[in-house]
Amino acid sequence: MYAIGDKYIVPALKEHARRKFKRYTTEEEMTVSELMEHGFDQAVKLVYTTPPNYRPLRNLVVKIAFKYQAILVSSESFLEAIESTPAFRRDLFLFRLTETSSNAMFNLSSLVQKAQQFIDPTLSPLNPGSDRRPSKATLFRSQFRLPASQNPLQEITAELTLAPHHTQRGPQNEGSRGEKDGTRVQGNHYVGKLHLSEQYLLFSTQGSSFLNTASLSASSAFTGQTHGAGPAGNGFILPLCAIRRVERLPTHSYMFALAITTWNGSGDGKGKGSGSSGGQKLTIQMAGSRQQCERFCDGLKKGLREGVKEVENLRAVVSECYSEFLLSELSDEKGGPENHDSGMREPPDTGLGKIYKYPGNVRKLRDATKMRLWREEMKENGRNATLVRQPTFHKLIRVGLPNRLRGEIWELTSGSFFERLQNPKLFEETLKKYEGRESLAIDEIEKDLNRSLPEYPGFQEEEGIGRLRRVLTAYSWINPDVGYCQAMNIVVAALLIYMSESQAFFLLSVLCNTLLPGYYSQTMYGTLLDQRVFESLVEKTMPILWEHLVRSDIQLSVVSLPWFLSLYINSMPLIFAFRVLDVFFLEGPKVLFQIGLAILRINGEELLDATDDGTFISILKSYFSRLDESAHPNSENPKLRAVTRFQELMVVAFKEFTGITQNTISEQRAKHKDAVLDSIESFAKRTSIRNLGPESKRLSSNDLGFIYDRFYGVLYERQQRLQTIQAEADRKTKNARTKATEVVTGVPSNTVETGRVGLGPSATQMDYDTFREFLAGITRWAVTDSPSTPLQDSQSEKQHSYFGNSLKGRPVNLSPWGAGPEPTDHEFMKRLFQKWDKDNTGALTLQNVVAGFAQVKGTKDIMSNISYFFELYDDDGDGKVDREGILRISEALLFLSRRGFERSLSSSPSMNDLQTQVSSETREGRRENRDEQFLSSVSAFIRRCFEYADPDQQRTEGEVKEAAAGIDNFSIGDDEDDLLDLGNNEKPTSPKKSQSPQTPRPNQAAANAALDPNNPLFITLPTFRMVILADEVLENFFDSAFSNSFKLFDPSIPSSTSLSANLTTFSNAGAPGRGSNVTLPVGGASAGVAAPGKGIRGMLDNIVSDGMRVAAEVRRRMDEAQRELDRAATGRDEDSEDEHDDLRTPRGKGDPETRSVMDTDRELLEGAETADVGVSKPVENLMDREIGAPAPVAESTKGEELFER
Amino acid sequence: MADTGAASAPKPSSSVKLVLLGEAAVGKSSLVMRFVNNDFQENKEPTIGAAFLTQKISLSTRTIKFEIWDTAGQERFASLAPMYYRNAQAALVVYDITKPSSFTKAQHWVSELQRQASPNIVIAVVGNKADLASNDPPPSTSAPISDGDGIVAVPTDGGEGELEDEEETIRKVPVRTAKAYADEEKALFFETSAKTGHNVAEVFTAIANQIPETALKGPRGAGGAQTQRTEERGRVDLGVRESGAKEGCAC
Repeated sequence: MYAIGDKYIVPALKEHARRKFKRYTTEEEMTVSELMEHGFDQAVKLVYTTPPNYRPLRNLVVKIAFKYQAILVSSESFLEAIESTPAFRRDLFLFRLTETSSNAMFNLSSLVQKAQQFIDPTLSPLNPGSDRRPSKATLFRSQFRLPASQNPLQEITAELTLAPHHTQRGPQNEGSRGEKDGTRVQGNHYVGKLHLSEQYLLFSTQGSSFLNTASLSASSAFTGQTHGAGPAGNGFILPLCAIRRVERLPTHSYMFALAITTWNGSGDGKGKGSGSSGGQKLTIQMAGSRQQCERFCDGLKKGLREGVKEVENLRAVVSECYSEFLLSELSDEKGGPENHDSGMREPPDTGLGKIYKYPGNVRKLRDATKMRLWREEMKENGRNATLVRQPTFHKLIRVGLPNRLRGEIWELTSGSFFERLQNPKLFEETLKKYEGRESLAIDEIEKDLNRSLPEYPGFQEEEGIGRLRRVLTAYSWINPDVGYCQAMNIVVAALLIYMSESQAFFLLSVLCNTLLPGYYSQTMYGTLLDQRVFESLVEKTMPILWEHLVRSDIQLSVVSLPWFLSLYINSMPLIFAFRVLDVFFLEGPKVLFQIGLAILRINGEELLDATDDGTFISILKSYFSRLDESAHPNSENPKLRAVTRFQELMVVAFKEFTGITQNTISEQRAKHKDAVLDSIESFAKRTSIRNLGPESKRLSSNDLGFIYDRFYGVLYERQQRLQTIQAEADRKTKNARTKATEVVTGVPSNTVETGRVGLGPSATQMDYDTFREFLAGITRWAVTDSPSTPLQDSQSEKQHSYFGNSLKGRPVNLSPWGAGPEPTDHEFMKRLFQKWDKDNTGALTLQNVVAGFAQVKGTKDIMSNISYFFELYDDDGDGKVDREGILRISEALLFLSRRGFERSLSSSPSMNDLQTQVSSETREGRRENRDEQFLSSVSAFIRRCFEYADPDQQRTEGEVKEAAAGIDNFSIGDDEDDLLDLGNNEKPTSPKKSQSPQTPRPNQAAANAALDPNNPLFITLPTFRMVILADEVLENFFDSAFSNSFKLFDPSIPSSTSLSANLTTFSNAGAPGRGSNVTLPVGGASAGVAAPGKGIRGMLDNIVSDGMRVAAEVRRRMDEAQRELDRAATGRDEDSEDEHDDLRTPRGKGDPETRSVMDTDRELLEGAETADVGVSKPVENLMDREIGAPAPVAESTKGEELFER
Repeated sequence: MADTGAASAPKPSSSVKLVLLGEAAVGKSSLVMRFVNNDFQENKEPTIGAAFLTQKISLSTRTIKFEIWDTAGQERFASLAPMYYRNAQAALVVYDITKPSSFTKAQHWVSELQRQASPNIVIAVVGNKADLASNDPPPSTSAPISDGDGIVAVPTDGGEGELEDEEETIRKVPVRTAKAYADEEKALFFETSAKTGHNVAEVFTAIANQIPETALKGPRGAGGAQTQRTEERGRVDLGVRESGAKEGCAC
């Protein structure tokens, strides 16, 4: 809808508005009434509902509004317009700022960023065709690296005022800051957005808006260049529980001004000396209408109240931060002479480095200087939870973090701090919960513990190894999908040098979920994808080198893969790898690319001489080993000489490749994702099919491929559907919340696309329902006759238009069966399922399914087919099928045949008699004819079965005789029947339907001693075989029709989505179901299931409803009869529902004479009711009638059509 | 041991890309380690993606420089494998004779290679950790292992008993089974011990001898199967050799 509006509404509006606005600008003076008369307020709203690319229009409006602000302010409707269009508000605010910039009170760089954003408002036209767009909430969380529980609740344009930096004022001033609240006289000012989520108050200069009304490009603007500030920009991310008080300040220049006092220090008694810094204060001026400010403040108030509960958490979490110790130490120092053992707390765990030394030379790293700078920075700007990020913060990170603060800052910038804050005990609890448990992941972890950064002394001892074990193990439990992947050991080992186990645990979690999505997953698709992205970036930025690589057949990723996978940790000397990590955690995954590109750029000359992998690798190896050397050893300039290769690398990475933004990465990821997943999937498929075991050899590889595709396709679709339905439900409950994919990562978030093989662990087992759907996709008989009307998505478009186009172009199909044919349910399917489920797990694996197909289709031998079928019904495996079983077999045969078979059953010549006008009808008629044959064959089958059945032991002589007599009668009738069948093709379908499962039973029971439930009997496989072979139709059925009814790979299918081409990936095969709506099997079986035209359809619908009525009546009667009779024969009831379903449609077809048939039925039933065991004759008559009752051909043809549908 | 580092020989040399595949912890890296450094190490950095090593081996008429891609064994790294076996002229598919699952996995790798790798790739199936079942003399297959296709084969060490009774508990993959499989797949077969060094050099030598000199000669004739070092009769065009450093690359 958005897009439509985009196309059609806006141009018109634009035209219109432009003309109108011309007037405003030309005319000098206007009154309020004039403005309102022209609907200026409306215009504002309209203009701001257009996408932000229509910037000129917006600018115009803003200009006008500014010009006439004095007048406009007095207008209610204009204020209202401001209220409802935050973007307008923002623009107005900014315009105002620029206009009044003489004060020069705001941070210039942030304005530049704003401007950039305006110039290029469509910063993130991420894959415009894609229907997967991230939700605002996702973007919001990504920008601030917040836990998944946070959503943007409020936002408002605001200006943040901070006291001038301490270093500018001189150290003697420290502690006296924060006194000048509410004034804008001095200090640093930042213009940006103030956001409120459930548990956080956030401010960022990285302009972006997550309001529902804002466009997506505005939300994702942060993916552009961040100038080293990271996606969160300058500003703060305050947990609400870290705010001590909020005051409203009297102000004249802004509507609302708040002074926020943060909760600094962990509140311990010793902190008294640090009281001055504990009162860190921030001043925020909001710019918005009064209403909006109030709404924001209300939200804030509410959040603050909630936040009180979490103060304890915060206290615990913060106590693990070195900064707390650092600052309390400082205050102690200030308080008196150094006194280390008196009031000093134990410093928190800052990693193994504290015990085993941090890598690198402390003096060379200038650790003390850095520490001093950070101490000042944190004294000024808060620490851990309350840190306010100003440009110094980012600069300090760029020059490398001091050892003891490294862990904490990593935690803060990566956002894992917030995760820890949310669930501080998760690590310990997880370990405890799974204590003593074993898993594959743990085995794998154990193998690698001894070989993780073995050169670091801490990992040669149990101390380090134990920590590593605990972190990796705990993570493998909370994320079993990832479990453990080699390289995680290296990364975690590196983290553990600088942080505690718990901190490392949460950071690992953020790495796997957000920063390196899919890197360590089962298929490692993220790794492969980023390699592809990296290659394409190399191609783009260094075409000559790329050309060379291609020519020399050097595969870049063999070199670069370990860089990314282990974050350069085992490629570079540790001290440098950590410097890269410092920036990486702040700025995100793009850093890995920038560094990688810079490495290649710097070594470009040499690399151009390398002609094979070996040389290529060794060049880079030697480069890494000399990172600490001077980059310009021969330079005259001593300053240049002092520049190390590593510094050069950083400069090249962040200056020369500054254009590589998160957005670039996202775009590239989106571009290559499918290809990468496809190749992973085709690899998985190849492997999987090859490893299916010996049974699979009986199927062609095409068939195997097809089964594989369908198998996973169905699983995938079901999963997707479940999620869609779930998401829909969620949306209903909470409109603001949507599931969407990550634009930030460019990789679909797990919530949306699980199930695709390439993405990692997915369902590999089918439950019964899935199996039904699977069968419905490949057979005709498994498709239901009475599809439930698919649920319409009645959600008004308007309601979810705001969350973007995420669902655009893909109508939400809420039917539990998706776009494919809805499966029916029949006992036969259940039996098949159980039979295939060899291990009785209640679910089928691909191997089960293939083995099952191997038995059904893998053999062309009629005998084995017959035995297979027999075994399906031989419940206890004793080689006998009892009466019940025989009836069930017959039911199954009818069930399987109810849609007929293709070119499988030979048609009798007499069929030529059937001439109808329309060719399609001819076909229908012909098929019908075959069906009829089949039907009579089945009834003959039942009779023969009983005829040749072996009685079970405990029968009396007389009964046997009677039974024999009955059988005699039966055989006579049988012959007649057959004759009749052959001779009379005009037999109606309707009566025979009544013969289907339910009805005949009572009759036969009445007719024949053999049918008496009191006389147990059974048939053996030889008998069964004989009976089958005695009938040509059944013989045919078992010879080929049955196995052919499973449509697997069929190259002859001309159907649109050329199957063979799609064989490589199941996702393609699955596509028809979702996309083109051509469901393969149905397409393949098109012979009979040709969709009826609409006209016919309408007519048929009438007939159906009529028939349903009749069927219901019949059912009632039958139920009555059944109740009388079936006291003994229980256990069948559960199926009756389905059988009725099956009956329903056929019933309806005959319409007028269905009723007459109904009469027969009734008679039948009544007869059954009164019949007694000994009398066989009347029942036989009944049966004759039932099968042979004549009816007009045309009628039955029509009925058949309906049936086919 | 192979003449490691005998690079000074004026013999023509060509490089051969060799990839090691196999389940995790079967000793792939250790085999390479033994071959390249004649060293054995209990704890080694795990292989991320793949490790790259080179080692030269001197045959009578030429020097082969192995470019060895030692891949990570963890199951999930399998999807990266195509990247490494691409254009490989030889592959060592390693299993652990004490772990049947690793033999199954090896079979999967062999079929993967046959379907997906370069058509002429020389495959060697290698059962590692033979030292664990060493109290039994490596049994059977007393005759030189060879087949009609002239796959060079190396007899496992002499004096072998017939039955594997004693080792029953440790050894889980019988030599006969593995050998039969390798024959069927026309692959070389060895049992090795990276720990003791048993047969390690022999594997690589056999592979070296087996590499078809595509551009230079026709496919290696049948009956070339002798022991370790097949006598390569000269007749080698030096010029072509040298330029043929990348011979055998499919692309």
